[in-house]
Amino acid sequence: MWPVPRLVSLFAFLALATFAVADEPYGRHQFDDSSRSHWSFKKLQRPAVPATSTRWGRNPIDAFVADGLTAAGLEPATPADRVTLLRRVYLDLIGLPPTPDEVAAFVSDSSETAFERVVDDLLSRPQYGQRWARHWLDVVRYAETNGYERDGAKPEAWKYRDWVINSLNGDLPYDEFVIQQLAGDEIEGSNADSQIATTMLRLGAWDDEPADPLVDRYDQLDDIVGTTSAALLGMTLRCARCHDHKFEPLTAKDYARWTAIFAPLARPQQGRTELTRDIGPHAEVAAHQTRTKQLDEQKATLVAQLQATSWQVVSAAATDGRLPIAQLAALGDQPAPATGVAVSDEIVQIAKEIPGGALTAATIEPDKRNDEQKKLIAEHNDKLLALTKVVAPGEKRTALDDLQKQLAAVQAAYPAPLPQGYIWFEKGPTTEVNHVFDRGDPRTPAGEVLPGVPAILVDEPPAAPQPTGHSTGRRLQLARWLVSPDHPLTARVMVNRLWQHHFGDGLVASENDFGVMGEPPANQPLLDWLASELVAGGWRMKRMHRMMVLSETYRMSSAAKRQAMQKDPTGALLWRFRPRRLEAEALRDTILAVTGQLNRKAGGPSVFPKISRAVLETQSVPGNGWTPSEPAEAQRRSVYIFVKRTLIVPELDVLDFPATEESCAQRIVSTVAPQALTLLNGEFMHEQSAAMASRLAREVGREDSARIERAYTLAFGRLPSENERTALLEFLDRQRGQIAADSPEEETVKSIDLKALTAMCLVILNTNEFAYLQ
Amino acid sequence: MSPNQSPRPTQQFTLCGRNRREFIWQAGGGFVGTALTYLLAQDGFFNQARANTPGKVSSLDPQPSHFAPKAKSCIFLFMYGGPSHMDLFDPKPELTKRDGQPMPNLENDPRFDAARTKGKPLLGSQWEFKKHGQSGIEISALFPKVAECVDDMAIIRSCHADSFAHGSGLLQMNTGMLRQGFPSLGSWVTYGLGTVNQNLPAYVVMLDHRGGPIGGAPNWGAGFMPAGFQGTQFRTSGDPIIDLSPRGGITRQQQRQQLDLLGQLDGMHAAEHPLDSEFGARLDSYELAFRMQQHAPEAVDLARETPQTLDAYGLNQVTTEKFGRRCLMARRLVERGVRFVQVYSGGGHLDENWDAHLGMKKNHELHCGETDQPIAALLNDLKQRGLLDETLVVWGGEFGRTPTSEGANKGRDHNPRGFTMWMAGGGINGGQTYGATDDFGYAAVEKPVHVHDLHATILHLMGMDHEALTYFHAGRDWRLTDVHGHVLSELIA
Repeated sequence: MWPVPRLVSLFAFLALATFAVADEPYGRHQFDDSSRSHWSFKKLQRPAVPATSTRWGRNPIDAFVADGLTAAGLEPATPADRVTLLRRVYLDLIGLPPTPDEVAAFVSDSSETAFERVVDDLLSRPQYGQRWARHWLDVVRYAETNGYERDGAKPEAWKYRDWVINSLNGDLPYDEFVIQQLAGDEIEGSNADSQIATTMLRLGAWDDEPADPLVDRYDQLDDIVGTTSAALLGMTLRCARCHDHKFEPLTAKDYARWTAIFAPLARPQQGRTELTRDIGPHAEVAAHQTRTKQLDEQKATLVAQLQATSWQVVSAAATDGRLPIAQLAALGDQPAPATGVAVSDEIVQIAKEIPGGALTAATIEPDKRNDEQKKLIAEHNDKLLALTKVVAPGEKRTALDDLQKQLAAVQAAYPAPLPQGYIWFEKGPTTEVNHVFDRGDPRTPAGEVLPGVPAILVDEPPAAPQPTGHSTGRRLQLARWLVSPDHPLTARVMVNRLWQHHFGDGLVASENDFGVMGEPPANQPLLDWLASELVAGGWRMKRMHRMMVLSETYRMSSAAKRQAMQKDPTGALLWRFRPRRLEAEALRDTILAVTGQLNRKAGGPSVFPKISRAVLETQSVPGNGWTPSEPAEAQRRSVYIFVKRTLIVPELDVLDFPATEESCAQRIVSTVAPQALTLLNGEFMHEQSAAMASRLAREVGREDSARIERAYTLAFGRLPSENERTALLEFLDRQRGQIAADSPEEETVKSIDLKALTAMCLVILNTNEFAYLQ
Repeated sequence: MSPNQSPRPTQQFTLCGRNRREFIWQAGGGFVGTALTYLLAQDGFFNQARANTPGKVSSLDPQPSHFAPKAKSCIFLFMYGGPSHMDLFDPKPELTKRDGQPMPNLENDPRFDAARTKGKPLLGSQWEFKKHGQSGIEISALFPKVAECVDDMAIIRSCHADSFAHGSGLLQMNTGMLRQGFPSLGSWVTYGLGTVNQNLPAYVVMLDHRGGPIGGAPNWGAGFMPAGFQGTQFRTSGDPIIDLSPRGGITRQQQRQQLDLLGQLDGMHAAEHPLDSEFGARLDSYELAFRMQQHAPEAVDLARETPQTLDAYGLNQVTTEKFGRRCLMARRLVERGVRFVQVYSGGGHLDENWDAHLGMKKNHELHCGETDQPIAALLNDLKQRGLLDETLVVWGGEFGRTPTSEGANKGRDHNPRGFTMWMAGGGINGGQTYGATDDFGYAAVEKPVHVHDLHATILHLMGMDHEALTYFHAGRDWRLTDVHGHVLSELIA
């Protein structure tokens, strides 16, 4: 059969050859000066650290910041107090608050390196990866279902979430991080882990019943193009799908070239059902598949022999009357053998358990059975075989026994199944010709293109990709280009994301858009220096975190000064630490930590917290795809909550969980009444405030003042002020009185007391101080 | 601050920067004039078309429309599943004549979906059409009461859409796009106009008692806009809004004390951060929530309605009670300034909605029976109260149905190539039909109206230019109508 595949690849080769000459030379020379000279398209160069005259600052970051502040006539804020700083760095690095003991230890540690030790400790905790992975999951539109009509699950997608967490915890260099996600199946030493990384490419929404299959195919590619270009390049390449970008030096051809990189990817699916792929080193997977195929063939041969032999026996017995099929088929559920069936009880007993249709089918020659008959035979195979053996002549019975033994041996020889990954695959080293389309419509090709990158970023087209044994090598080539040390965008874009999550906004505040329409950098020398540092430090991200949070800039107080606020209201120049609301996950995790309910178990398939009936009723089949987990499982960190595209957990949804259809660089921070309703009246908050009240009662007993102190230490890491203490004491009294007055029946003092305490905890968990990182 | 002006923070502006990614559901002007004004400068920019210009704090404040609106509110009666136009509003005598014969000439149609119609016999309507009203428009016996309102209705018989599947069809009718992730029509309306009643959500969705539509929440989602613009689900029993009431027996007095404590604690905290307005805005959102607890139940409390009204909407009959309740709630909500109300008829799958694969008769008699009286009552009630002029009522589903028969019980399959929708009130010139399908009702052939055209027209009636209502996101401006859409000016009075 070899000529056929060879013919196919010959065609593919010709096709490749054709379009290799079809694409024209391209590069930044096609654009005018103003486009070419845009700051972020120019090669990264390391700026010198400014020499500052002030004594303020601890590391080069501070020197750059001080430089910017001096130029604007601003002064840096004073350092934050130690408790605030500690809570800040905990919530920022691990997304959980410090325990009262950790606060006490830090506050009493006056050594110069106390903060440094805290930072190193936090960066080494598994919670660091759990916190920071979520930031990356936003960028790669992570979700575990396909959306649309059926919103089917993406099997094994959670492995990618764990891969991100583990990569961050293991400080996988960012260049490797990029290479594996784009081309983990194409790299040397490709293994299960690196292949899981490519799940990133398959996380998009997918309509399993598309209005137009061809358009849908390009929609799937558009999802990958949009995500990769925004996430890795910080460019809005997606806008060039139908025509040249209206504002950026990005052409429809650039879009088509980038699309061509991913066009060889095929989706493993069977109709509407999503399939996974065997993962592992290619040689192992290949050996496994070869072995499985061999065994499948052996099995098929044996099954055919068994069927043929069985049929010979059954048809002979049917003919000579030993198996009166029509009568046996009619046996049904009759309690006793029908009269006139002159066969043994044994036959009757077995035949009774076989549907008539299957018995009839067994008399038909195997090749002539229709699908329904084949199905019936397969379903009742064991019983049919038992029946056959009863009537089989000696030598046939031996043959059947022998075949059965062989079959069992083949069955036992199957290797253990390989781990599965939710990934795409390429069909081979060659692929179809790719086109640019008129108005982006895949029915109107308007010229051939080679895989490539935006012209504005290169002097000339990249060399042709080197195919691997099993793929085109296009993605690997893209990945290598992205992580070349002097790439103008890759390091800048990533270091900007790290900065963003430490300081609230990126130095480029449009984190997915470094184009001419993007925000200009608030401090380009600082951004460029940090990007150079990222590359120079072997792309290690923990080193960059450490540098950022150990800066004096990070340690400043969040207090606003009127004069500075007038000059720089957004605080982009970093004259203070800008307060910001915790993201939905960090808030939920912090609540669970404070109430003592957090389950710190790491990794594995996602969990399903309880969702109220009222919310489930929005589904066409209420509760479909959402079987609630055990309470303890549901109280794991929010990064482990199943992300179902059409049903986001309300506690996260209402607090601006990102839309999962495309890369989200920076979450919206909305302040709307439904948030207050959820945080005051929702079931989760109700349970958590009760848990916190019980904790207080258990840990410090009945004295209000002690409970208030404990509550404050847990929630804020500090003691209440006198005014706060008074307000809380008065509240507890008032609330107890109100509860007693409102109770329809006599309530015990203890019950009233616990309710009032629960109410106090609910209020504390709702305060701004609790919800904000400052 | 005048209602025509919107707050925005005084921050650096670039020609095309980004919004500050903040969104505040403003508490009825409550915090404007307080410390917040320090940060929020006044700005008359938005006397022009609304667009989320850089630096803008998006809010639900009332926004000026692009031009004088005909309709202040919209009630979209969504017949999920796909009602059969040729059995309701689009009489096809030729189809009836050829009942049982094959459908001719379809293979020439490039978008002909052979799997759905090929080899299947034509199916004439089982219902009689009669002329109604002064206009004499023909409507089938399935909608006897709606038919009486025909002089208020503009019946668009030439609608077409792009998807044969419910999921993407629903998305397109709701968001204009076949792909998931875009703001719904109600979100665009809310974004464009804001709300005049901060104590209620601006955009309300009422689902069928049998469940949501296929695809669920993205059908009323805000897509890439802030969550504040998404539809809020109102329920017809229990709390209208999820988590509206305190849990665990907490009384309103107790919750008042809790909010007072929250105010005290946040107040002390804010005193240390007098210049950071977002703290105040967050506290205000709790007070708004507290007020909502009072206003939302009142808005949907039907006890104040007269027995005649309840009767008219069919609340005393088992068949019409559920949908009638939703229609009556819709009227109460628009009376209270809610901008956009979407009412679903049909939920779940197959005969639980208008998806009549299994037999036209059983399915449409059920759903028409449930909705005929309430829809007529809604139109009459709005008219009687003088609200119909300023309330646009839209009726329709995600697509229509095939002229061919499906299955043993004479069902019909999905058909987006031609179907009927109608509009009434809110500036619509009633008593007219618009466009036509072919002789069998398969495809729109005369004055075809795409979903984008419907959307453009709805926005127009509400005072917005669909080409000027834009939202900047991910590198470009987006519109509800993408790069399409024409206002159907012939429909407008």
